Amino acid sequence: MKAYKAAAILTLAASLALATGCGSRTEPTTTEGSGETEDKVAKIGVIAPLTGDLSSFGKGIQYSVQLAVKQANESGAIPGWTLEVVPLDDQATPDVGQNAANQLASMDDVIALVGTMNSSVAQPVQPIVDAANIAMVSPANTNTSLTKGADLENPVRPYKSFYRLCASDDKQGPFAAKYLLTKGIKTAATVHDKKVYGQGLVDAFTEYYEANGGKVVAAETINPEDTDYSTVVTKVKSANPEIVYYGGEYPQGAPLSAQMKDAGLKVAEIGGDGNYTTEYQKLAGEAAEGDLTTSVGAPLDTLDSAKAYLDGYAAGGYDVDPGAYGGYAYDAANVIIEALKTTLKDAADVKSAREATVAAIQNVKIEGATGEIAFDEFGDNTNRVLTVYKSEGDAWVSEYINTIE
Amino acid sequence: MTIVSPELQSRYGKPARIVAIVGAAIMVFAPMVPWVYTGKILDDMRRAFDPSGLQILFELVALVLLGVLVTSMFGVKLGKYKNVVAWNSTALAASLGGLGYIAAIVLAVAVVGSQKGLGGLAAAEPGLWIALAGSVIASAGSVFLRKSPRATLAKVPSPAWVQILALVAVVAMVLFMAAFAVNLTEVESFLVCCVFIVAAVFVFRATGVMGWLSIATANNRKVLMLAAFAAAFIFPATQDGSDANMTVVAQVLIFAGTALGLNIVVGLAGLLDMGYIAFLGAGAFTAAVLSRSAYATFSIDLPFPVVVLISGTVAALFGLLIGSPTLRVSGDYLAIVTLAFGEIFRITMVNLDGTDGPNITHGSNGIPAIPNLDFFGFDFGKSHEIFGITITRQANYYLLLLVVIAIVIAVFANLNHSRIGRGWVAIREDEMAAEAMGVNTFTLKLLAFAGGAFLAGMVGAVKAYKDTSVTPDQFVFLESCFLLSAVVLGGMGTVMGVLIGATILKLLPEKLRFFDDYRMLIFGALLVVMMRFRPEGIVADERRQMEFHDEDEELADEVEEELVTHHDLLNPEGGK
Amino acid sequence: MDVIIEQCLNGLSLGSLYALIAVGYTVVYGIVQLINFAHGEIFMVGAFGSLTIWLLAGSPTDMSIGFALGVMLPLMVIGGIIFSVLTAMLTEKIAYKPLRSAPRLAPFISAIGISVFLQELVRLFYGQIPGFPDARNKIKYPTITGISGASVDIGGVQLKMTTVFILCALAICTLFLWFYINRTKVGRAMVATSQDQMTARLMGIDVDHVILSAFAVGAGLAAVAGIAQGLYIGDIGYKMGFMAGMKAFTAAVLGGIGNINGAVVGGLVLGVVEAFASQLGDTAWKDVWAFVILILVLVFRPQGIMGAKVVDRA
Repeated sequence: MKAYKAAAILTLAASLALATGCGSRTEPTTTEGSGETEDKVAKIGVIAPLTGDLSSFGKGIQYSVQLAVKQANESGAIPGWTLEVVPLDDQATPDVGQNAANQLASMDDVIALVGTMNSSVAQPVQPIVDAANIAMVSPANTNTSLTKGADLENPVRPYKSFYRLCASDDKQGPFAAKYLLTKGIKTAATVHDKKVYGQGLVDAFTEYYEANGGKVVAAETINPEDTDYSTVVTKVKSANPEIVYYGGEYPQGAPLSAQMKDAGLKVAEIGGDGNYTTEYQKLAGEAAEGDLTTSVGAPLDTLDSAKAYLDGYAAGGYDVDPGAYGGYAYDAANVIIEALKTTLKDAADVKSAREATVAAIQNVKIEGATGEIAFDEFGDNTNRVLTVYKSEGDAWVSEYINTIE
Repeated sequence: MTIVSPELQSRYGKPARIVAIVGAAIMVFAPMVPWVYTGKILDDMRRAFDPSGLQILFELVALVLLGVLVTSMFGVKLGKYKNVVAWNSTALAASLGGLGYIAAIVLAVAVVGSQKGLGGLAAAEPGLWIALAGSVIASAGSVFLRKSPRATLAKVPSPAWVQILALVAVVAMVLFMAAFAVNLTEVESFLVCCVFIVAAVFVFRATGVMGWLSIATANNRKVLMLAAFAAAFIFPATQDGSDANMTVVAQVLIFAGTALGLNIVVGLAGLLDMGYIAFLGAGAFTAAVLSRSAYATFSIDLPFPVVVLISGTVAALFGLLIGSPTLRVSGDYLAIVTLAFGEIFRITMVNLDGTDGPNITHGSNGIPAIPNLDFFGFDFGKSHEIFGITITRQANYYLLLLVVIAIVIAVFANLNHSRIGRGWVAIREDEMAAEAMGVNTFTLKLLAFAGGAFLAGMVGAVKAYKDTSVTPDQFVFLESCFLLSAVVLGGMGTVMGVLIGATILKLLPEKLRFFDDYRMLIFGALLVVMMRFRPEGIVADERRQMEFHDEDEELADEVEEELVTHHDLLNPEGGK
Repeated sequence: MDVIIEQCLNGLSLGSLYALIAVGYTVVYGIVQLINFAHGEIFMVGAFGSLTIWLLAGSPTDMSIGFALGVMLPLMVIGGIIFSVLTAMLTEKIAYKPLRSAPRLAPFISAIGISVFLQELVRLFYGQIPGFPDARNKIKYPTITGISGASVDIGGVQLKMTTVFILCALAICTLFLWFYINRTKVGRAMVATSQDQMTARLMGIDVDHVILSAFAVGAGLAAVAGIAQGLYIGDIGYKMGFMAGMKAFTAAVLGGIGNINGAVVGGLVLGVVEAFASQLGDTAWKDVWAFVILILVLVFRPQGIMGAKVVDRA
């Protein structure tokens, strides 16, 4: 037994000596060796699905942030500082997202974060970046509880570092319902994919729709792994709805539309911004004609403020479209940059400016690519403008622009 | 390994040794001169007489090579120690290893240099070419050295304290290497470091040190365990208060703990389970549902050890449920049944959301915002300073996981060498025969499922707190596949193998982010190649190895010889 | 009533797809006792293969009905079959043949590896070929005039032409299979090998060749299923093989694995059960029922509903 103890103590001692002695020499070299008066560097993290199924959305987010940062650096928005983007992949999985968040939190020169795309990834990311006082501005998380906590009757903001630009589920769903009711469409069927986003949309839609005179005649779900939805379509068809509300993303939403029309259920499908991409028309083909989708903010092409973004993006030569969340990502980056203009100016280093940045974002007001941006007491965007788009040919054309409370 | 024919070797052996020594001397000198003119490629390799980490690794190889070559020059003068170490084979391994290592560095300089706009190889300084030339010369010389007889080091009797000391040194070395590798932030540095580790393993094998170590390990199993755990406990100290690596390492532990549970079912009892992630999920969901999260549906304030036990028990009950068909189903069919159960578990967790079933898990939202553990006033959510070492949030959970894993390994080791363990192995080898010999196969099979599940459930409980949120999409079929692969890759039925397998499968993807997109492709190919060429895994259980290579006479002899040697050394008085 | 008939048709269409894939599992299992986990991917490769032919033909969109059914469709079917069969034979040579005498676990894990590898190969590299769509996302399957999208109204029941196509495909394939197994030399060698491999070898049957043929036959039918699914649901994707493979395997087990007629019946039964599970119950639990059926069959009637040979494999 003695031998064991001796061995343990020995190992501890030896390891400690080694542990304290070993360290990589890589870090300090980045600033050495070049000009003395070089700008200080502050980094903006991006956490999004850069690989996998949703990578076209994720890349759109990454490129848009890079575009905003590039424009800010070129115009010298923050004197004495250069901004850099650190894109990290979350593969749309919470585990990987969590690692990415920890990686950002451990980098001293990270000031803020744009992300994530999936609400399920945002959940574990929030506490990590909050503990490090890193501001997180989300372009795409729609889950209501992220800003209002578990109990929606008595909302409490869980993390003061979390802001979001896109509308939460409780605005998009009701907005679609409102549009349908103004059009006199009183019966609808709902289908969702049982994911956080889709189910949230349908729940909010149903509540508003039924409270204001509409009737949900069939409520169905699909399994996103499945490809054949004909049994669901037949079931929905027998209820004779005037329209089908779909909560989910386009890889399922578009085939659903096509299969509806094939099976003789010739009514339009209306979805949330998960359908708002031209991939939808590519996948659904002719069946997409007349389908509807809601998205937050006024259409980008009607806003002067969006011009810089759209032109810049087109000139950037990026390999994917901005997607549904590119505009928000661009705005998210600009919100952060706007806050940094005041907080970084006199800051000695990035870490000491973090807390002030988190607070400063609360009061930021800018004219963004997606419209006017400001935050309410929960960190949600106060922009209540939403748009209904209609599919014509292979594009989405704005159909109805309004606000919702 | 013979590259040059024995005739040539005996003809040119002597001048070749001189050439090799010259090459080795050049290699020893090379790290003293700058390799690269900028600090932006790999680590800082531009200082004279101040080698960087990666350069020191090269220096190590060079020194070993020079030492071996010079020592073996005395040839016969070594007397009875002549064959203790396989001098020439070691020299060959070291010189080729060094060549491979420097080649990796040259490649890294070329690729990274051109990526970063530093002109590729134009960034190289003479030192790099000197090192490369030295390696080439040394390798050219070494291949002409005569193949040495098998090292007899393993048969040299050594006092217990030497063995213990050596084991401690090895553990410390492994810790140092692990910390060094993990702390390398750049992908290319990490890869180069991996090449070094592989080269080092080959050199050690060639010398015969590995054989000696395995005897020392067998003699001092408990010492090694203790030392390994001590080293693992020290690990957070190497991270300088940063969470970036700790979160990955903690995930490796979660994965390894679950894989160890699976190892009981697959490795010991031979029951193929393809839905194993469900047990981790059952544990995680149980802990989450019982936690003080605002979303928890059965929130009660229980002490954490109780929660862990409940989670384990719930998972074990699932294990019994899933194990019950084993009464009638076996083999591939069992694999499919477990796969189906795994999918049923996931879909059920999604459906228990209040609309399609009772609200227990909040459906695909899962249960977020699980508060940190608070252990007698020790808040797991905060960093703590202990002896001047910062223990961060992730490190807290890492240490907690280590305790859980220690329990898992203790259970595993004891079961493995108990009546129950032998019963499992009997079932794995031949169920019919086992039953005929009076082994209660059904109870034992159920016990394997329940036991493995209990361990996974415990790990799941910690995972829930570490991740702060539990959602059904963390427990998909692919994860079960990964777990199984960790067990198969590392070596079924061995603790060490599973730990290595888990580390490879979780750590490498995190570190090698640049081929993120190709990760799964490589993984698929790896499984096929592995099954083709080394189905017993990296660390082979001896019995298993025999099973997979039953036609390979040479291997059979080798294994037998080794077993006999082991036996002699372990029980010197027993004797044949 | 209309709804019931339509759901029946939905179930039969889906079931026919399962049946076509299930034959591949059953033939291979009957001979080498290997669950060819990668078979779902062979099905996916078939769909992509036919798409490739269509793309090589210049992506014709507005085809006349004669050209579409007389030229384009047969070409696509043949192309899909060639791709699938080649892939299946290659995987057999690379991944399974060397492991024939290894313990049971080894080929099974190798099959998982192949499955992952093929999926990733298509996902990463299909779109890299100039002019080909990015396979990271789902791809719209070409429309074939006269089949895609068209449906006829028979007394209030919508009969999709794709359904007709799938049912015809299943019927033709079953006939072909019957002929192949019972009337050709290779087919009878297959039966012999599945009954007793050793004896078959002693009787001069080239077992390796027979095994390769079994893989090829299964792959051919899977390719037909891939094309049928593309036409039926309108899109294909690299992930389509996983769920379909799982369900088809369930169907094979349901029918009695190793029994070809059983696979067809099992597929149809599973399809109809699924359709009615979502019509009468909650769609969210549909897959759970499918898996529960699988487990119950495996536990209580491992020989399946058609009662093949007694299975006792450890």
